Amino acid sequence: MSAAAVRLLGPEAEARLFLRLRATVAWQTIRWMLVHARLRLGLVILLSAMFWGSLYGLFVEAFSFLDSLHADVVPLLFNAFFSSLMVMLVFSAGILVYGGLYCSPEARLLLTLPVRAETIVAHKFQEAMWFSCWGFVLLGSPMLVAYGTVRESGWPYFALMLPFMISFAVIPATIGTICCLGLVAWMPRLRVHALSLAVAAACITAVWLGWSMAGRGRVDALSAAWFEQTFARLSVTEHKLLPSWWLSTGLIETARAGRDWRAGLPAVVEGIKFLALLIANAMLLQLMMGWLARLAYRYGFSQLCGETPTRRRPLGWLDRMFTDAGTSAGRPLRLLLLKDLRIFRRDISQWSQFVIFFGLLGLYFLNLRSFNYNNAYASMIGFLNLAVVGLILSTFTTRFVYPMISMEGRRFWILGLLPVHRDQIVWSKFLFSFGGGLLPCCALVFLSDWMLGLGWRLIALHEICCVMLCMGLSGIAVGLGARMPELREASPAKISSGFGGTLSLVVSSLFIMLVVIVAALPTHLFLLSNNQWFSHALGGNRSTAQQVLAWAGGPQGSALSLAIVVCLGLLATFVPLRLGLRAFRHLEP
Amino acid sequence: MIEFDHVTRTYGSKVAVADLTLSIPRGELFALLGPNGAGKTTTIRMLVGLLHASQGAVRVCNHDVVRQPQDAHLHVGYVPDEPCLYDKLTGREFLWFIADMFGMPRHVATARIDREISHFELAEFADDLAESYSLGMKQRLVFAASLLHDPDVLVLDEPMVGLDPRSVRIVKDLLRARTREGMTVFMSTHTLAMAEEMADRVGIMVRGRLRFLGTVPELREQMALESTSLEQLYLELTAPGGVPDGDAAKEPGR
Repeated sequence: MSAAAVRLLGPEAEARLFLRLRATVAWQTIRWMLVHARLRLGLVILLSAMFWGSLYGLFVEAFSFLDSLHADVVPLLFNAFFSSLMVMLVFSAGILVYGGLYCSPEARLLLTLPVRAETIVAHKFQEAMWFSCWGFVLLGSPMLVAYGTVRESGWPYFALMLPFMISFAVIPATIGTICCLGLVAWMPRLRVHALSLAVAAACITAVWLGWSMAGRGRVDALSAAWFEQTFARLSVTEHKLLPSWWLSTGLIETARAGRDWRAGLPAVVEGIKFLALLIANAMLLQLMMGWLARLAYRYGFSQLCGETPTRRRPLGWLDRMFTDAGTSAGRPLRLLLLKDLRIFRRDISQWSQFVIFFGLLGLYFLNLRSFNYNNAYASMIGFLNLAVVGLILSTFTTRFVYPMISMEGRRFWILGLLPVHRDQIVWSKFLFSFGGGLLPCCALVFLSDWMLGLGWRLIALHEICCVMLCMGLSGIAVGLGARMPELREASPAKISSGFGGTLSLVVSSLFIMLVVIVAALPTHLFLLSNNQWFSHALGGNRSTAQQVLAWAGGPQGSALSLAIVVCLGLLATFVPLRLGLRAFRHLEP
Repeated sequence: MIEFDHVTRTYGSKVAVADLTLSIPRGELFALLGPNGAGKTTTIRMLVGLLHASQGAVRVCNHDVVRQPQDAHLHVGYVPDEPCLYDKLTGREFLWFIADMFGMPRHVATARIDREISHFELAEFADDLAESYSLGMKQRLVFAASLLHDPDVLVLDEPMVGLDPRSVRIVKDLLRARTREGMTVFMSTHTLAMAEEMADRVGIMVRGRLRFLGTVPELREQMALESTSLEQLYLELTAPGGVPDGDAAKEPGR
C-alpha cells in the first residue's frame, strides 16, 4: 500500500463526505423521477398540496371555533398532539434505524471501510429522521401555520416554526436510535419481544385514553363538561419535563407576539428560550448517541449476525387442512394460495401495516357512537367511512398485491416448470387479495354502521359496496400487475412506486369514488327532497323536481344505483383481469 | 499480514469456526476451500470486521480488527460474495466515494480511478447509474473499488461469481501482478481449478475446523494420492467420515 496516498479521515471530513453522498443520491433520484416518473412526482406534489391545503383550512376553522369558545384548550391540544407524535417518532425512528444499521447491504459495505461507527450511525439516523419526519411536517405544519394565521402572529413565529419542529423531532428520534443500539447490542435475542411489549404498552395506553375520553363519558361532545373531562385525562401530557411541552409552550409564547413583533419582543424571547432548551437537549442526546454508537454498533452488528433463526411451524396444521380440502383439480391453485399466505404471514412489514391501519380505523369506528350524529350526518359519515376503508385497502393492493406478479415473473423458472397453468397463477393472486381483504373490510364497515346506528337497509347496501370494492380493487391490482410486469426489479416497493403502480393507485381511487358516489346518491337525494330549505329554493318547479328526487331517493332509485355499483365492481374486476391474463399468457421472462 | 490467533466463533450453540490459528505472510495468495456451511464466510467476515470472534483475535498488518477497526480497514480491500453498490450513483461516483473514504488526495484519486476503470474495462458504463448494471458489471466495479487504495490485504469471497471469462482472466492476471508486488490475497472459493492454478497455499475447512493447510503437492503427498487432481483430494478430505481431523490439519507449508 502506498502509505502516503491514504489516511484516516477526521470526523468533520467523514460527515462532509456523507453529506456529499446524500446530495448526489438525492440529485440523481430527482433527475430520474423528472425523466421516468413525472406522473408519480406530479401526483405526489398535487396530492400533498391538496392534503396540506385541506388540513390548513380545517385547522383555521378549528382554531377560530376554539378561539370563540374554548381558547384555553389550545395548549392542551398541542401537548396531546405533540406528545403522541413524540411516542410515534421514538418507535418509527427506532425501527427505521434498525433496518438501516443492521439489515441493509449499505451498512455491510460501510462497516468494511475505514469509517467511524458513529458516522455510520449518524448517517443512518439522518435517513431515519427524513423518513419518519416528513409525515410530522406534513401534519404539523398546516396546523401551526393555521394557528399563527388565526392568532395573527408576527414573522418571528413563522420563521422559528421549522427550527422548533426539527429540534423537537431530533429528541424522540435520537431516543429511538439509542434504544435500538442498546437493545441489539445487549439483548439481541429479546429485541423483538422488547419492541412488541413497548408497542403493545403504547397501543393499550392510546386505546385506554381514546376509550375513556369518547366512550365512557356519556356527555355531549364538545360541551363544557366534555372539555373538562378531556382536560383532566390529558393533563399527563402537560408534564413540564416533556419535550412536547417545551415545544407547545415555546410555539404558543412566540405566537403571542403579534404583527407588531417589536411590541411582543418579550414573548419572542420567551419562545426562543424554549427553542434553546429543545436544541440543548437534542444535542446532548446526539452526544450520547455518538458515544453509544462507538461502543455498541460494531459489537451489536456482530451479535445480531450470531442469531440463528428458529424454525417454527405453529400453523402447519392449518396449512395442511387448507391443502387437503377440496378437489385434486383445485390443488395447484390452493398450493399457490398457501405459498402467498405463508409469505404474507412471515413478512412482518406486510401484516404489521395491515394490522396498524385497520386497527386504527377500528379504534376510530369504535368511538363513533359518542358523537351522537343525527340521521343525515350518520348516513353521510357511513358512506365516507366506506370510502376510507376502500382507500386504505387500495394502498395495500397497490403496495403489496400489484408487485406480486412481477415478483413471480422473477421466479418464473420455478413456476414455469411446474404443471400449473399460467392463468391459475393470476387467479391465485386475485383470490388471495380478494379473500384477504374481504373479511376485515366488511367487518370494519359493519362496525362503523352499527356504531352510527344505521338501518339494516343501509348496512346491507354498504356491505354489498364493500364486497364490490374488495373485488374491484383486487382485480385492478392483479390485472394491471400482470399487464405491466417489471421483471428486472427485485424490490416490490420500487415496482409499486413505478408507472404501473401509480396508475393502479389512481384507477383504484377513481373506482372507489365512483362506487361511493353512486351508492350514496339515492340516500342524499331522498334527504334533499325532504329538506324544507331546498324545497323552498326550488320555487315554481317544486312539484316536478321533488317527484324526480323522491323517485331517485326511493326504492327504484336505490335499486338502480345498486345495479350500477355491481356493474362497476364487475367491470373493475374482469376488464383488468382479462387484460392481465392475456398479457401473462404470452409473457416471456 | 493476516493472523488468526485461536479464533472461535459460535452462533448460539453451533460452532461455526473452531480454534482457527492461521498466519498468512506478505505476498501470498491463500485460498480457503470447503463445503457449504464449513465456516468460510464466517472466517472472512471476521477478517473484515463484520463479525467479532467469540474467542481469540484476528489481526491485519498488526491491527486487531475488533479493537482498531479503522486502522485495520485502511489496509484491507474487500470483494463480498454479493456486490453492494448505491443504485443512484454512477460507477465513477462510487469510485470517488471510496477514494474519498480512504482520504486520497485529489490528483492521486483521479489517477487511480482512471487506472482501475482501464484495468477492469469499465469506461463504457462508468457514467451510468449502478442500478442499470448486470451482476458481472457490478462485480467488476466492486473489484475496482477494492483495489483503489492499493491495499496490503485483499479479501475475496467467491470472487468469480458473475464474471465472464474475459473478466476472470483480467482478475487472475491482476492478482498475480499484485501478489508479486507484495499484496496478500485471502480468497474463499468453490472453484477448485482456480485455487489449484493461483493459490500459493490452500486451506480446507470442514465443519468449522481447518482440515488441511499447505500447498497442493503437500496435500497429495500427505494423502498418498499422487497425480490426483485437487478436486479428487478435496472430495476425499471433505467426504463424510473422510480423513480424521488430526491427520491433515498440520501446517506443512510453514
